Amino acid sequence: MIIESSNQVPRATLLKRFPLPRNLGVAPGSRIGPGKTWPAPAGAVRVKSFEIYRYDPDTGENPRLDTFEVDLDECGPMLLDVLFWIKNKVDTTLTFRRSCREGICGSCAMTIDGTNWLACLRSISDLATPATIYPLANMPVIKDLVPDTTHLFAQYAMIEPWLKSKTPAPEGERLQSPEERSQVDGYYECILCFCCTSGCPSHWWNGNRFLGPAVLLQAWRWLADSRDEAAGERLDTLEDPMRLYACHTILNCTRTCPKGLNPGKAIAEIKKMVVERRS
Amino acid sequence: MPDPAAKRPRPLSPNIQNYRPQLTSVLSVTNRITGLALSAGAVVLVLWLVSAATGPQAYAAVQGAIASWVGQVALLGFTFAFFLHLCGGIRHLVWDTVHGFELRAIYASGWAVVAASLALTVAAWTASLFMGG
Amino acid sequence: MDRRTMGSPLARAIGLGSARKGVKHWWAERVSAVALVPLTLWFAAAIIAHAGSDHAAFVAWLRTPLAAILMVLLLTALFHHTVLGLQVVIEDYMHSGAKFAAVIAVRLGCFALAAAGIVATLRITFGG
Repeated sequence: MIIESSNQVPRATLLKRFPLPRNLGVAPGSRIGPGKTWPAPAGAVRVKSFEIYRYDPDTGENPRLDTFEVDLDECGPMLLDVLFWIKNKVDTTLTFRRSCREGICGSCAMTIDGTNWLACLRSISDLATPATIYPLANMPVIKDLVPDTTHLFAQYAMIEPWLKSKTPAPEGERLQSPEERSQVDGYYECILCFCCTSGCPSHWWNGNRFLGPAVLLQAWRWLADSRDEAAGERLDTLEDPMRLYACHTILNCTRTCPKGLNPGKAIAEIKKMVVERRS
Repeated sequence: MPDPAAKRPRPLSPNIQNYRPQLTSVLSVTNRITGLALSAGAVVLVLWLVSAATGPQAYAAVQGAIASWVGQVALLGFTFAFFLHLCGGIRHLVWDTVHGFELRAIYASGWAVVAASLALTVAAWTASLFMGG
Repeated sequence: MDRRTMGSPLARAIGLGSARKGVKHWWAERVSAVALVPLTLWFAAAIIAHAGSDHAAFVAWLRTPLAAILMVLLLTALFHHTVLGLQVVIEDYMHSGAKFAAVIAVRLGCFALAAAGIVATLRITFGG
């Protein structure tokens, strides 16, 4: 089927996962063991199962997959409400990040039914049965659904995401025409939830060097800014077989962005700019 | 102070084991696999040319291998791989000009690549059967 | 190559720094791809037209100047594109020192195959 916007959940999927051995290339300490089932409270009528990735660093045990039976009549309409319900009513140790509960902070990004999205923006009615909830793909896990994004923010710091200018600061504002301002539309809205980077196979295999879609979109946001005077320097930092060119335009990024932005297009703009400055 | 996390490295959350195959990733890996298959096809092409340069007997041996049912199945596979890689490659060239990145265009061009590759494979083999007929 | 384990996250992210190259490889892959669109389509059409032909007919075809020129161009663009593509695949999945061995092997192999194909073509074209 044709997907028209990134919030669209496919009605039917041919494959839930790639037909590969479950533990192919998975380090022994990352293998997911069987978990326990937490039954629905007595008398629950509308019950839905949620398989949730659990990891407790204090036990030294491997991650496991717990099944929670949730009483939908007792909880709100979104996946984040389910997580709150479980934490309040069933298992207080369930750990996840959240803040704004309206898709602006990017804290509750996770892998939901096999694709990345924000728990606060995913309606329960759009979830599979059972729903599967994992921390953001390909991340070191601190606890349960909390990923360690240290490396991603270090990569973000590397592109120096601020306005760089050699011209002395003017008395008032740095002026920009409406057209120039519109060049960063679709890029400045990024909330750094890292759904895209976590869903990018190139970042899975080469994330130590490949910057990934989120950071490259941010890099383009500054390259596209008419007030910035460091384009050459920025392109020098980016032009590298891995940092930029490990992107093979797979476009899982654009498919998954919860803000409907287009990291794939931003990266194509950077590649075009690199070509333009050498010919 | 002892750090409990230092006892064992943090587990890595699953990537390809859990991430759902989508048209985007499936066509990308298909382009890669067909590229690898066509690299093997390029070796066959050279073998074929060298056999022809060697003489009629060597050429007949290679032609015989290609005409066998194994050879024909492989040739059919190469044909489909070739058209998939060709159409997928043209899609990439369009993207390189920063066009066709709307999600609807990504999906439409993706399915178009699949349909065109199937149609071209059928057309090529139909034409070949009539020519060789 | 992650040489630091206790270093700062930024040191790990920066690694060995930017190679300040990559566009040449990327561009050459595109240029060879553009060349291969007409060349491979010509080749596919020629194969269809000559399906099952015998040695004499094949040699006669490859002796026409157009076929010989296009075949040499095809082999050149094909193996150029192949070596660039395979190198990317190797660099994506191999991270040990074996990566360099694989890249060298692919480079030399593609050169050798291209040379063999071109020499075979020219031998047929100019052969007695």
